[in-house]
Amino acid sequence: MTFKLPAIDYLALAPMLVLFGAACAGVLVDALVPREWRYHVQVPLSLVALLASGGFVVALANRKEHVVTAGSAVVIDGPGLFLQGSIVVLGIVALFLVAERRLEPGGAFVAQAAVVAGSEADRKQMRKPGVTEVYPMMLFALAGMMLFCSANDLLTMFVALEVFSLPLYLLCALARRRRLLSQEAAVKYFLLGAFASAFFLYGVAMIYGYAGKVDFRGINEAVLGSSNSKTLLLIGLAMLAIGLLFKVAAVPFHVWTPDVYQGAPTPITAFMAACTKVAAFGGLLRVLYVAFERSSWDFRPTLGVIAAATMIVGAVLAVTQTDIKRLLAYSSVANAGYLLTGTLSMNRDGLKYTMFYLVAYGFTVLAAFAIVMLVRDSDGEATHLARWAGLGRRSPVFASLFTFLMLAFAGIPLTSGFTAKFGVFAAAVGGNMTWLVIIGVLSSMILAFPYLRVVVLMWLSVPGDDTPTVSVPGAFTAAALFVGVAMTLVLGVAPNQALELVNDAGAFLR
Amino acid sequence: MDPSYYIVLSAALFTIGAVGVLIRRNAIVVFMCIELMLNAANLALITFSRMNGSLDGQIMAFFVMVVAAAEVVIGLAIIMSIFRTRRSASVDDANLLKY
Amino acid sequence: MSKFPFLTLLVTLPLLGALILAFFPRSAGELAKRFALVWTLVVFALTVGAWLAFKAGGDRFQLKDDYPWIPQWGVRFTFEVDGIALVMVALIGLLVPLIVVASWKTVEALDGNRSVPAYFALLLALQGMMIGVFAASDVLLFYVFFEAMLVPMYFLIGSYGSHQRRQYAAVKFFLYSLVGGLFMLAAVIGLWVLGGNTFDWHTLVEAEFTTWAERWMFLGFFVAFAIKAPFFPFHTWLPDAGSAAPAPAAALLVAVMDKVGTFGILRYCLSLFPNASKYFAPLAIALALVGIIYGALLAVGQNDLKRLVSYTSIAHFGFIGIGIFAFTTQAGSGAVLYMLNHGLATGLLFLVVGFLVARRGSASIKDFGGAGKLVPWLSGVFFIAGMASLALPGTSPFVSEFLVLLGVFAVNKTVAVIATLGIVLAAAYVLWMYQRTMQGTLNPALNEVPAMKKDLSVRELAVVAPLIGLILFLGFYPKPVLDVINPAVQATFTQDLGVSDPAPKSEAKK
Repeated sequence: MTFKLPAIDYLALAPMLVLFGAACAGVLVDALVPREWRYHVQVPLSLVALLASGGFVVALANRKEHVVTAGSAVVIDGPGLFLQGSIVVLGIVALFLVAERRLEPGGAFVAQAAVVAGSEADRKQMRKPGVTEVYPMMLFALAGMMLFCSANDLLTMFVALEVFSLPLYLLCALARRRRLLSQEAAVKYFLLGAFASAFFLYGVAMIYGYAGKVDFRGINEAVLGSSNSKTLLLIGLAMLAIGLLFKVAAVPFHVWTPDVYQGAPTPITAFMAACTKVAAFGGLLRVLYVAFERSSWDFRPTLGVIAAATMIVGAVLAVTQTDIKRLLAYSSVANAGYLLTGTLSMNRDGLKYTMFYLVAYGFTVLAAFAIVMLVRDSDGEATHLARWAGLGRRSPVFASLFTFLMLAFAGIPLTSGFTAKFGVFAAAVGGNMTWLVIIGVLSSMILAFPYLRVVVLMWLSVPGDDTPTVSVPGAFTAAALFVGVAMTLVLGVAPNQALELVNDAGAFLR
Repeated sequence: MDPSYYIVLSAALFTIGAVGVLIRRNAIVVFMCIELMLNAANLALITFSRMNGSLDGQIMAFFVMVVAAAEVVIGLAIIMSIFRTRRSASVDDANLLKY
Repeated sequence: MSKFPFLTLLVTLPLLGALILAFFPRSAGELAKRFALVWTLVVFALTVGAWLAFKAGGDRFQLKDDYPWIPQWGVRFTFEVDGIALVMVALIGLLVPLIVVASWKTVEALDGNRSVPAYFALLLALQGMMIGVFAASDVLLFYVFFEAMLVPMYFLIGSYGSHQRRQYAAVKFFLYSLVGGLFMLAAVIGLWVLGGNTFDWHTLVEAEFTTWAERWMFLGFFVAFAIKAPFFPFHTWLPDAGSAAPAPAAALLVAVMDKVGTFGILRYCLSLFPNASKYFAPLAIALALVGIIYGALLAVGQNDLKRLVSYTSIAHFGFIGIGIFAFTTQAGSGAVLYMLNHGLATGLLFLVVGFLVARRGSASIKDFGGAGKLVPWLSGVFFIAGMASLALPGTSPFVSEFLVLLGVFAVNKTVAVIATLGIVLAAAYVLWMYQRTMQGTLNPALNEVPAMKKDLSVRELAVVAPLIGLILFLGFYPKPVLDVINPAVQATFTQDLGVSDPAPKSEAKK
């Protein structure tokens, strides 16, 4: 018996291969390089790997040749490349936040996560520099996300899902301060995440039973052509959707979001909010648009209700929050609803503007968490909202920037929040989902309130004695903050280039 | 023998696993229930592979086993670390994060 | 057609000035004032230039400046003015320098250490955005300015308000306007999708919509404008905002910003959705009538001078409302003229009240009484402002009120008669306010306040003199303004709306 190895277009896979390679190298670095050198090797290594990966993405995008490779497991097409590029760029900005060591001696990560929290040994390691395994784990996660966006069958998708989720579970547990919260967040995230992937996998099995294939083109052909019971298809689709909606944090699968966002180290929270969102929606878009487009009559009403619930519940719960990280978590839930609204338009515009929204939201949320990292006192970050009162008087520059970001979240014109919302809402009206747009507008009204509350607190309250100071950011955080704010402004005022990019990305390859 | 019985068995295993996740309180047991769900999926994949007459499903089961093994490593590491701190693996005791 | 880009400069120059002022250090307060004054005077000179360049008998829209913005969405920077918009732009150009002068001591008088340059930066930003709102003829551009305008006003009220409830007022103002804005956003998106993916006003006027789509979109716009104007059930933010804002900013808020609402109804609701406008006209007239009576009655009952003036505005907006929705050229011209005159008269009234409140340190009517004996000049000016506000013949508001009533009488006598009741009530609240503050026995507490003994300073005189002069001049000779307004109003009603003026006896079927 002879095996014919599938042809592999290595150039097409290069963006991911570079990251996986660098991640493996990073693991070796951690094993072989002396402790004090690791940080200085890991950060440049990760950065170079990401830049190289980004370079390959650009080169592939210029090649304009869309391929299905690795035995039809991976497809490199316009939207896939756009999403990969977004993940790389957002990943670089997130890497800046992760690499920051000026704000806190040793960085935001614990030196040895295995040490029992609160023990004598734990107190001793307080001053030691943080773990450097963070960087290879980030690279693994990023590569997994990229694979997730360009998987061409459900099995590859499942593997990619796990490849990017597993490092994230660990990263959540590595906070230097409030270790108990961090560990608790990791356990919750892990158990619920694994639960959701089990659903995803069972969905894969059902779809396989229905279609006899798991590649997207085969499923697409089978959706109308298969003689098997349609129940299998619907159960499979529902279970796949549960797995994916968990990752995008849609109601009712959002319960992990606030806990994990609050407990995880803030740079990792930012990383998840920006990059995981892109990857999860990238996967969702591909599954819905490529594999199940023909059964859109079956899933649009249900997913529409979920999108509406996500927008409303996210907005309403955001109103009641008293912790800035939780507030941003619920805001991220509501934003998942807007993204779903765009996704469900099921037309070209829906694809385009959902991708645009992902990028716009990613930059804004990264910048917002960068500022959350800066507002701190001797006890670490001061995330309780009451502590933010009067921040505008203490440090007008950062308060102004944060105000700008809040206005962007609220969708005020001249920020990327507005152009992004306009895009997805216009797509949804064009896709006959006007009722979702009306709910989206209503939820935006509710959601404006918590954002405004933060602005009011910062500017119109008198600073108390315990108002924390805003630390001077190190070069890394400053760069991340600058990029985030600048992109929020640019995508709001002159989105031409970005719109051109999503337009050129074209449609998914089937 | 009709292979569809195996599908019923797999669905039963999956349901037991899912219910277990929702009602059990010990993180290790919850985790085992998740493993049960993954294996139920494996059984379904293999059965469908037989029914569809293609090998894809069996190959997928191998992939799933590898992924599940990786998941065990990560999961046990996280559960271990929180257990050493709290001396408890009950998910009810982990309640610092709420609202 | 002149080639000089008047409108572009009128929009960008104040924004540029605001940007420059934002970089002034806190200590450079005096310099900031002078800079703001010179800058706004330059803008005023430009406004005069634009007025002269506008040919009264020429095309409906003139002074067009057009630049590409986001070609993918068909958004352009299109600035052009018809007579109505030109009058409003001129009003802004005239009022803002006066308001800068009137604000000379406002910031310092507040407790707490508040930045003077920031105040003037906000004022200039507001000016640029307001001019943008009136000058835009691209629907999205209009929406952008409409929303962005909220931000500087929010901070003017919230940060520089004198009132204890300024936070509440600022948030209420922002949320009301934002909610209206989001309704409008939904309508704007609908307009874009149904109108053929363009935002060009001229193209959209030609577009045809189904009856239901037109009605829903009309409501979206109308609610936003009715909140802004404010019309009766949406008005509750105005008294709070008006009383909490510093008096000069309140003058700007009531005199100009609120006119955006009525302007928007004329330019967008009537022209874009003529059939829906006719359908909803009875409702709008009813709301306006309720506003006239309700505003006036509440004004009679107020004990706070700034709140009182705010309520009189609600009554006046009722007059503008019936003038617009009577759908006759005469009433329409009256309404537009009213927009200008109300800006002058209420602006003056607010400024004078500001002078009084600054002296007394309180806005409560009870704290005054017989003040005319201490400050005869100030009380004289106050009297003139009051008379203008109640539309005494000889002052300019009389002309406009008369035109409105005349025009309304021609189509609907009942409405006209009820509206006349408003005039009677206006006399009551103005005279009673004057009597309680300026006449009668001197409130002994006033003697204790040294500032109450200072009459109008030269600076204050310089603020009120141009306004009084203009009110009296336009009271006797409104022709130059009417010549500019009339063609635009005529075009709105006959071309866009398709109604012809009824002969005096014709029955207007409602």
